[in-house]
Amino acid sequence: MNPVRFPKRDGGSSAEEKDRVVQQTDQDASQSRLSAVDTGYLEDPFARLFVAGEVQRRYPLINRGTYIRTTAIDKLVNHFLVSSPETPKQIISLGAGSDTRFFRIASTNPSVIPNLTYHELDFQAVTSQKIASISTSPALQSLLSSQELSVDQKNGSLTSRHYSIHPLDIRTLRPSAYFSASINTSLPTLFISECCLIYLSPTEADAILKWITTDFTSSVGIILYEPIGGDDAFGRVMIQNLAARGIVLKTLKKYSSLERQVERLRVLGFTDGQLAVSVKEIHDGWVSAREKGRIAGLEMLDEVEEWDMLAAHYCVAWGWRDGDGVFAGWGGVGRGD
Amino acid sequence: MSDLDHAISLLRSCKPIPEPAVRELCYKARELLIEESNVQLVDAPVTICGDIHGQFHDLMELFRVGGDVPETNYLFMGDFVDRGFYSLESFLLLLSLKVRYPDRITLIRGNHESRQITTVYGFYDECLRKYGSANVWRYCCEVFDYLALGALVVGAGSFVGDESEECEVEVVGAGGDVVTRLKRRDDGAGLMNAVNPPQEGDGGTVGGPPGSGASGSSGGTRGVNNGAVLCVHGGLSPLVDSVDKIRLLDRKQEVPHEGAMCDLLWSDPDEIDGWGLSPRGAGFLFGADIVKHFNHLNNLTLIARAHQLVMEGFKEMFDSSIVTVWSAPNYCYRCGNVAAILELGEERNGSGAGIQWSATTGRGQTFGVVRRGPGRRYRVFEAAPQDSRGMPAKKPVADYFL
Repeated sequence: MNPVRFPKRDGGSSAEEKDRVVQQTDQDASQSRLSAVDTGYLEDPFARLFVAGEVQRRYPLINRGTYIRTTAIDKLVNHFLVSSPETPKQIISLGAGSDTRFFRIASTNPSVIPNLTYHELDFQAVTSQKIASISTSPALQSLLSSQELSVDQKNGSLTSRHYSIHPLDIRTLRPSAYFSASINTSLPTLFISECCLIYLSPTEADAILKWITTDFTSSVGIILYEPIGGDDAFGRVMIQNLAARGIVLKTLKKYSSLERQVERLRVLGFTDGQLAVSVKEIHDGWVSAREKGRIAGLEMLDEVEEWDMLAAHYCVAWGWRDGDGVFAGWGGVGRGD
Repeated sequence: MSDLDHAISLLRSCKPIPEPAVRELCYKARELLIEESNVQLVDAPVTICGDIHGQFHDLMELFRVGGDVPETNYLFMGDFVDRGFYSLESFLLLLSLKVRYPDRITLIRGNHESRQITTVYGFYDECLRKYGSANVWRYCCEVFDYLALGALVVGAGSFVGDESEECEVEVVGAGGDVVTRLKRRDDGAGLMNAVNPPQEGDGGTVGGPPGSGASGSSGGTRGVNNGAVLCVHGGLSPLVDSVDKIRLLDRKQEVPHEGAMCDLLWSDPDEIDGWGLSPRGAGFLFGADIVKHFNHLNNLTLIARAHQLVMEGFKEMFDSSIVTVWSAPNYCYRCGNVAAILELGEERNGSGAGIQWSATTGRGQTFGVVRRGPGRRYRVFEAAPQDSRGMPAKKPVADYFL
């Protein structure tokens, strides 16, 4: 519909360059998180610790989207953490970047930590930076048990009793992949992909989900947060705009709708339940009237039509295979809670 | 070449003018605007434009499509600034054209012409970036306070083009070809549905439910002069039941958080009965009954407003009693929408041929008679080609969740 043409990017076509662009998306996400924290949408005392430089204030609709994304995933994670509290559990965050979720759980919900091991996987370039941030922050270090803490900043790895960071190209993960890290494939495990698998080819992304549902023998669940709907005017411009920055949404075409996301999870082995909702539905349906009033009062949001469009182009999808009841609450998330 | 013409030529090439020149321009503009009424009277023919939002290159595209100033008369319904990268150049160009050709261009205030909103949505930062101080932003905000709140277009003709064809609505597509021509018909609702292109995505909910509205009041005074078109950025206010009430407001101030002035700049029409709360946190939602009642009481044939992004550039609602005109294509370099402007021609033979009172039968309409809208030509246009923007310093990077 629109003759939007972008100049060709010069250079930057090598595989390393493409990976670097994907790695930089983490800085963008951390900046957005800090902006949402600064404006009062989210509470996260750790957000600032992973951002170099000053806060880049985001537009209100980006703040609101960051808020919805974070609180929706928190809600699903929390259901997993509180069901069967005595069962040892594992969370594996794919392409975790500088996510603060572990530290937020450890500071606000310390009682779940003894039964939890939390792993983050990302490119070494990203994990090294994160470990550098942790090493210089007493606040973050105080949340890691000093026992068994081992840091290899050069290789970008950190291991401790409940929290580990592994430098790893997740494209190597596929069924029967050799995996040396301290991941226990027999524990009930929750996987998180926040705008991560979307940057992989459909083959690579599918292989990871198959790895999860075949190599992990106990209950497994996954939470995906990613764009959908690339075939309307807004979606086409989104693809063009991101492509101009070297960011390619590789699985968008294949998993372009809520229905396709659900089918994806079912076919790839999350056989006990699959759900997908748009960010717009989450905002309209999951957030209490009181909380909506609170966030509406933080900033004037004059981007109503734009918000409706943007929020309809992102979704949270989740699926599970449950033998232990650890995903018992996942079928009803968002309904009346 | 006068200083003003020099400024215009600089601004036309998207170059900022020096700070003293901005101060001078804003001073002259204020002297001019202070004389304008809250509801400025504008004679047809005029081309009505919606939000611009600092999309300078698309404003140039608008002038290319709609004709240049002063050859074409323009009425801009606010939201000149914020969001786009060239708020400063866009606003100052429009303002300098206003000072140069005061009778050829009318500027009314949008909700973004406000100190508070411009500090959130980009104009303040842009001024700071381009001048190193907030002075220019301050000069512009002082001008904002003097902008009219609305305009009343009078003398608009009943038909587009050749009157013998009795064409009420013509849509000229982005390629410059006429894509739709609609003759005046008795069934106003049917016409309206035909005017709006099908919505992408949702099922295309246009038009209010038949029979919604307040209690019937048939009649109305026949034979008065042809009705006018009220132009306002947002919409109506529960505190304003007549155009005269708008005239009584004290407008020379920052846009308040509530009250009539705020509502005029913030409200939106919606498929509801009566008034509703706005999701924007300011202004109200108002339904078909409100619009029809207001138009009837005030002898209006149409309300033209902006404020809401519409993917097709324009959207008529409520049996063509109100239209949204949106003039920022690919809004925020992100939304993929087309834009539109609305041309109202002048009455050809001042004999009152444009008086169009006719019964709307069988649909349970609010009023026994409704006034027919003026002839309307919508020109749809797309974003200026990316390579004509010349943005070496900053690419248009829209925000997404990554």
